Amino acid sequence: MRLNSKVERILDEFPSDISYEVKDRVVFLEGKVKEYKDWVKIGSEIGDIDGVEGVVNDLECEGKELTDLEKVIDKSKGKENVRIGKYDIVIVGGGIVGCALARELSKYEIEVALVEKEPDVSLGQSRANNGMVHPGLAPSKDSLKRSLNIRGNEMYEDLCEELDVPFKRVGSLILITPRTMEEYKKYIPNPIYKFFLKFILPWIVKKKGELNGVKNIEILRGEEVYEEEKNVNQDVLAAVKIPSTGIVDPYQLTIALFENAEKNGVDFYFETKVADFVKRNRSVKRVLTDKGTLECKYVVNAAGLYSDVVAELAGAREFTIHPRKGVELLFNKRLNGWVDHCLAELKIPSHPTSKGGGINPTVHGNIIWGPTAEEIVDRKDTSVEREKIEQIMERYSSIIPDFPKEEFIRYFAGVRAATFTEDFVIRPAKWVKNFLHVAGIQSPGIASVPAIAEYSIEQLKDMGLKLKEDESFDGRRNSIDRAAEMDEEVLKQKIEEDSRWGNIVCTCEMVSEAEIIEAMERGADSFDAIKRRTRAGMGECQESYCLLRISEIISREMDIPLNKVRKEWRDSEFFDGFVRGEEL
Amino acid sequence: MKDVVVIGGGPSGLAVASELRKKGYDVMLLERNDELGGLLQQCIHDGFGTILFGKSMSGPEFADIFISRARTEGVEIKLEAYVKSVKKKGDHFKITTVTPGGVEKLKSRSVVYAIGCREKNQFEIKIGGARPAGVYTAGTVQRLINLYGILPGKDVVILGGGDVGMIVARHLFLEEVNSILMVYPEDFFSGLPRNAQQCILDFDIPYRPRTIVRDILGDKKVKGVELVEVDEDWQPIKGTEERYNCDSVILSVGLIPYSEKLEDLGAKVDKNTSGPLVNEYFETTIDGVFSVGNLIQIFDYVDDAVKTSFIAAEGVERYLEKESEKNLGIELKPGDNVMTVTPQRVDEITGEKFSAFFRPDIEKENPKIEILSGDDVLERHVKRYVRHSMLEEISISKDILLGEEEVIIDVR
Repeated sequence: MRLNSKVERILDEFPSDISYEVKDRVVFLEGKVKEYKDWVKIGSEIGDIDGVEGVVNDLECEGKELTDLEKVIDKSKGKENVRIGKYDIVIVGGGIVGCALARELSKYEIEVALVEKEPDVSLGQSRANNGMVHPGLAPSKDSLKRSLNIRGNEMYEDLCEELDVPFKRVGSLILITPRTMEEYKKYIPNPIYKFFLKFILPWIVKKKGELNGVKNIEILRGEEVYEEEKNVNQDVLAAVKIPSTGIVDPYQLTIALFENAEKNGVDFYFETKVADFVKRNRSVKRVLTDKGTLECKYVVNAAGLYSDVVAELAGAREFTIHPRKGVELLFNKRLNGWVDHCLAELKIPSHPTSKGGGINPTVHGNIIWGPTAEEIVDRKDTSVEREKIEQIMERYSSIIPDFPKEEFIRYFAGVRAATFTEDFVIRPAKWVKNFLHVAGIQSPGIASVPAIAEYSIEQLKDMGLKLKEDESFDGRRNSIDRAAEMDEEVLKQKIEEDSRWGNIVCTCEMVSEAEIIEAMERGADSFDAIKRRTRAGMGECQESYCLLRISEIISREMDIPLNKVRKEWRDSEFFDGFVRGEEL
Repeated sequence: MKDVVVIGGGPSGLAVASELRKKGYDVMLLERNDELGGLLQQCIHDGFGTILFGKSMSGPEFADIFISRARTEGVEIKLEAYVKSVKKKGDHFKITTVTPGGVEKLKSRSVVYAIGCREKNQFEIKIGGARPAGVYTAGTVQRLINLYGILPGKDVVILGGGDVGMIVARHLFLEEVNSILMVYPEDFFSGLPRNAQQCILDFDIPYRPRTIVRDILGDKKVKGVELVEVDEDWQPIKGTEERYNCDSVILSVGLIPYSEKLEDLGAKVDKNTSGPLVNEYFETTIDGVFSVGNLIQIFDYVDDAVKTSFIAAEGVERYLEKESEKNLGIELKPGDNVMTVTPQRVDEITGEKFSAFFRPDIEKENPKIEILSGDDVLERHVKRYVRHSMLEEISISKDILLGEEEVIIDVR
């Protein structure tokens, strides 16, 4: 058993009391380690072993109790006696992956349901990333990530055109600078170091990309770099230009996928938490949720950060999620034009688990710096430490030294649902017949999404799913019109038809009352859900002007008192009660 | 073609519009809200008008004076008007507005910006932690309580010892919330002393100087904050972190002029005030574009803010009558113990004196205020007492500036 000996060799390095078991190429770990750092390290090293297809890390360690599966799972919540539907496929998870798959499946004559524990789609990692559509240069040659990234990237124009979602193929520049191989600099004479960086390394990067299947890679040197990107550091030695890199608004795309899937017949169950699965003959027959039971023929686990929890419930736990936080810094739209491409400074050796982030434009004209990569214990933890803000400013300022970096308007964090094998896990469960994992989707997840949906369907077909195209499928979807982007004549016309188009409630982003109403008609019932659909509150003042104005509209339209208006969740009402308990 | 378009219907905008209308010009005022009066409509406490009218009024009362003045003078007023763009076209300006009535293009010979300021938010002061419901700026809370009759929470932490924060603290106290704690990084409240006395000390509201909110806690709704003590440079002192339970956090951490729109038009902005660079008539760096009130800089008293409107009205008149002769271009800069100076430049020889506002960075009895050119003292002013960051006004004689290029204001 070569696999076993490799696992043992790794475990020998740790003095702790650890036992392991290998089942169908999945390594199960039990025992105790001292620190969380070790917990991650052991998992990652074992996940790296050739041939390992999953690591289930049940090691205990200090400070990790919070995420113990038992704490998250409450099987007693499942309502078995209330049947709410019968479906061919139940997708668990309404992130970009679940929604893309739901929409893809809605092309066929089958009944599909999607259950999501949150009140809206895109509330996990799908909303908190930089929206980069990666070109496929970074993943290793044999990974699933690589092939899906390349394919997914190519599918973006058509998808976004159909769904009326802004997408820009801005291209990326990988910058090679005197800092690129700083660690090795002392061993190499300076002229050779510079020569290598300027003439050899760009070529190596280009070759790697080409081997991965990335097209039209160019090498830029000297003035060519500044012609493409005028503000980058003057000491850039060379740059590798990848034209296929794109940018997209990740939650707008998720919302679009959701809307179009719903239009084509997929049932979405929000605020619905999977509590258990009822199985017969190693097949899931029913999905038990806190709202009732869904009968099903197939289950897709697209639960992102909670995909190991959902897997455990089904008896299909083949991996453990180790959450990895990324902090991003968002800059004022006024700086639009400072950056034209996605920019990254190549660093060798690179960060072991992240490509290192960079400076990107967004489709809305903001500029975004980040993300960081930090292993964290609590998968819900999207807090941002003050020090991280400073770190990001420090880390990326060598790309554009003159950038007015005090002009950021917001920071946020997302948590990546990483597995220890670090590749996407898209395969039928090993021990449950009709259960498909679509898990471990982290960077380049956004870029891969269209291909992930396609590939998942191939997997389902292999599992026996019969598909017949639904001729009534309509893949077209329109996004909410935006006053800010409208031609003045068109806006004039709109206002004539409906004066609410002329009531601008968010002045930073120029969002009208009509847009707020439209978002609500499309199902948004909280401030943040409206914000994601309209951009109200996303400007420089960060809601300080529009919070009350929009809350007032929500209150009026939903016929609820102002103090019942929610930021997002059921227990996140903005305000307290009436002064002296009396309604005005 | 209008003579003047005034953007913003707060007291400063109303005042400048009325003055210009009184002088006989064709004036249009644009206001984004559905009522006039600006921020004052939510300021139901008193203390407005002591300088201009010699009596202490509430915000709406003070605003009403200027609203009726504008109406009496016949200023053309457009409510719910969002200004989409202002563009300079030769000798006039093209202004595009969006209102529930439609999209309109106006032409005007001059423009006065009176769009005031906004409150700094949690991100601008880099508060860490989570981003749940329950974090508000003090102005939002003031509006919430006074105009909607709703409380932000029951256990409240107020960050910042500014005026709005103190006034909101008192209001929350009177409405009998469970607990209030004020924290701020300075060693005393940064707002007006009278507010510290009347709003906080008189009611025994708990406060902690040299303390900030480092992190906000709670996933969906604020559950508490992590407080930390800071040193004189406002740097957190390790080991002084303390978890404090609350259900809302109110920020009163400063106001910042809304100068973005002016920058888009090409006007230059002063890094110290965050407002536009202006001359003694509050004309920006673009000919024919003026600014008044809190957009220039943050005034401690609305009375002072409104004074700028009277001065600017004269400037607009001179501009429209083509009387202005900008031939000086003398720069005014903050020197020792001074944080900000407005105006930042003196353009015209005409007029004997002009008003300059400065914000000292020192607390001192009988300080000397010196107008310097290099080491030469051009003029000396006396004040009985200056406080750290309390705005002061002096009247500078123009003749002493003649021949200078750059002049500095010092407080010693």
